Amino acid sequence: MNVERGKINVTQLFFCVTGFVEGSVLLVNFAVDMTKSQTWMAVLASIAVAIPVIYSYVALATRFPGLNVIQINDIVYGPILGKLISLYYIFFFALTFSFNNRDIGELYKIFIMPDAPMIFFLAAFAVTCAYAVHKGLEPLARVSHIIVAISFTVMLLIFLLLIDIMDFSNFLPLFDVPLISFIHSVHVITAIPFCESIAFLMIFGSLDKTEKAAKYVIWGLISGGFILLNVAVRNTAVLGNTVTIWTSTSFESTRLIDIGTVLTRMDLWIGVIQTILIFFKASLLLYALATSVAQILGLKSYLPILLPLTAIEVILSATVYQSPVDHAMTTQNAGIFYSTPLLYFTPAITLLIAVIRKLPKSKRRKRS
Amino acid sequence: MKNTAVKIATILLMITLLFGCLDGRELSELEIVIGIGIDSADDPDSIKLTAQVVNVSQLGLSGSGGDPDSKPYWNAATTGTTIFEAIRQITHKTGNRLFVPHCEVVIYSKDVAKQGLYKHLDFFLRAIEMRLTSFILIAEGKAGEVLDAKPQTEELPAVNIYNLVKSYGFTSHLYDVTLKEFSSRLISEATAPVAPLIKVVQEGENKDVQVMGLAVFKEDKMIDELNMDETRGLLWVINEVKSGVLIVPTPEESGVAVFEIETAKGKVKPEITDDGKIIMHIDIKLQANLSEQTTAEKLARPEIFEKLQDNMSEVVVQEIMSAYEKSSKTGSDIFGFGDMIHKKYNKKWHEQLEEDWEEIYKTIEFDIKVDSKITKTNLLKNPVTQKLGG
Amino acid sequence: MIYVLTIYTLVAIINLPPLIKNGQKRELFAFIAFFIVAFVLSLLYAMDIEIPSPMEGLKYLIEDFMGLKYPEPK
Repeated sequence: MNVERGKINVTQLFFCVTGFVEGSVLLVNFAVDMTKSQTWMAVLASIAVAIPVIYSYVALATRFPGLNVIQINDIVYGPILGKLISLYYIFFFALTFSFNNRDIGELYKIFIMPDAPMIFFLAAFAVTCAYAVHKGLEPLARVSHIIVAISFTVMLLIFLLLIDIMDFSNFLPLFDVPLISFIHSVHVITAIPFCESIAFLMIFGSLDKTEKAAKYVIWGLISGGFILLNVAVRNTAVLGNTVTIWTSTSFESTRLIDIGTVLTRMDLWIGVIQTILIFFKASLLLYALATSVAQILGLKSYLPILLPLTAIEVILSATVYQSPVDHAMTTQNAGIFYSTPLLYFTPAITLLIAVIRKLPKSKRRKRS
Repeated sequence: MKNTAVKIATILLMITLLFGCLDGRELSELEIVIGIGIDSADDPDSIKLTAQVVNVSQLGLSGSGGDPDSKPYWNAATTGTTIFEAIRQITHKTGNRLFVPHCEVVIYSKDVAKQGLYKHLDFFLRAIEMRLTSFILIAEGKAGEVLDAKPQTEELPAVNIYNLVKSYGFTSHLYDVTLKEFSSRLISEATAPVAPLIKVVQEGENKDVQVMGLAVFKEDKMIDELNMDETRGLLWVINEVKSGVLIVPTPEESGVAVFEIETAKGKVKPEITDDGKIIMHIDIKLQANLSEQTTAEKLARPEIFEKLQDNMSEVVVQEIMSAYEKSSKTGSDIFGFGDMIHKKYNKKWHEQLEEDWEEIYKTIEFDIKVDSKITKTNLLKNPVTQKLGG
Repeated sequence: MIYVLTIYTLVAIINLPPLIKNGQKRELFAFIAFFIVAFVLSLLYAMDIEIPSPMEGLKYLIEDFMGLKYPEPK
């Protein structure tokens, strides 16, 4: 019945969540527009907001061990309403993958190889993700700790190299941001780096010990959030009040590294790390997309539809936004509102209905 | 496991080395730009851009084996309505795209700076190849001429200018303003941007350049200048004095004692009193060596040291106050006091001060404490004089 | 154009035979359906025909119709 038979353990899950959250490190930029030098506070607040939301995902998954969210929807809402809600999930996975693919395309187009056409990056990146997903979930989970270790090391190193030019008075005055902007910023940060991990509802089913998942997921979230915090603090401390004008604050602050005029152009590290992290995140999203589509169509395997889906995604990511400006502006409003009911409420409501209807009936287990 | 880690580390190292190959171009196809000067053109809507391009084949040859007439650099100049247009125009002369990552100095002429720099700054911040650590300068006269003043010991004028600015710490009479610093001051609602002034000095047949003093901006327009002492007055406050020479009258006023600044630390604390007065508490700690004296007095005595230290503090206070007085005439907050108040008194700033900060800036009161210490007298403990001979 | 055709032929050659051989009808139909959609989209893209973005619709629905929009940050 389940489309994927591979198993992953909870430690791998921890690294997967961390890597997944880190994958959105570039998107701290979207929040800088609203909260400026107070972005670090917005990141902290977002972690606090995200923990209960993400806990609702895990609680749902632990109530239905071994099942993915498409199956859960069928059980809880019945076949018709369940399918509709599942379509919302699939729509979300499809768009989110295209956004991430687009992110990498814009990153390369603007910062790394300005002279190449973007569709080339989009296709190459999506096919690489498809290759990873083709190999299955297990190999991805097995490299997660390497990816996390590399990104942690590089982030730490960049932080240390920049510590000399950091000015911590740049964070003052505290609370200089209107409340609505702060809420806006928290909304963006919770929605994009943290709550996109709703994709894990397609992965929790493959866990060997579902009951223990909650602790590892929450810690994964916190350690990923720590990296976001580090980036927000670093960029503000280095760039000061100019933080709002750059296309990418991470690139700009890293470009300032100049140790003895030898260690320069470290911004390429950001490009490398970003590529690895978004690759990881996008692969998990593509996996969630392929398995959910296969599940809803009742296929035995997601492999036959993987390549056509990837091709659709490439075209989608090429056309979804007209320009990076459109990308940023839309993400700050429609891009977070359309998914709000799904990310913040649907899993919790599903869980609530399941509790009321005393589901699942057959093999009921205690919730952890 | 251990092996994997080593392998990954090796791969990462190799990637680092490859960064240099990115967008790789051959040396012969490159026009390496080391400095850019911007002047106003005859047509008021356009600017004249001078790009200093390295002439690689002549580098290191001038004076000795090379053709004496050919310089190791070439100043390619064009006019255009915007910077980017002008830079692309230059390809008509060079045949190649300009390669700007090594452009270390951007020089604007005074008349361009007086008309406003916004429109001529954007390109340098936006272009991926430019560095935010490049220096920005304002030329008295033509920026193109500044880039052509050939120094005696350095082959490339732009590199010479870069070195001059970089080593500002010897006198602390100017300040190394990078593109980042300049734009940061430009964005700030209170702080006024500054940039060092550069001019050509004719000495016999040779033209030299001299960098000293600062240009002061209101928004993006240059409105004022600080001389050397006023510049250092600013640097004391923003804690950027590295070293320098302090000329202090001796207690009996028979001559002067000259000190070398060893270390200097400046701290500012803003205070808004209950009755609404703004007081800036400036605290400066200074250590200096006696490097020269012009009197026959024996200065190396505790009680005279005391007095000298007081006098030295007085000189510092005067420098700071002269900088403030100059800037308060135009109401341009070069010190960034407004931002300091904003950081500490956020609410009051938005309610009372932000609107007409320019006027309020002129009414600031000061509480300056300078703690000077003479650390050594170098190789002499007594001056060379006959008074002591007897 | 030529790239699109080559790539899609390749994808078809790799994916189709095992599906036909194993007689998995459901998988085969799903593959063909998605394949055709992807192919048409790619052709449209290659021919520079504008493909409407789903975000445009969402933007209209959410920002203009439902009025959900944060104020422009200062």
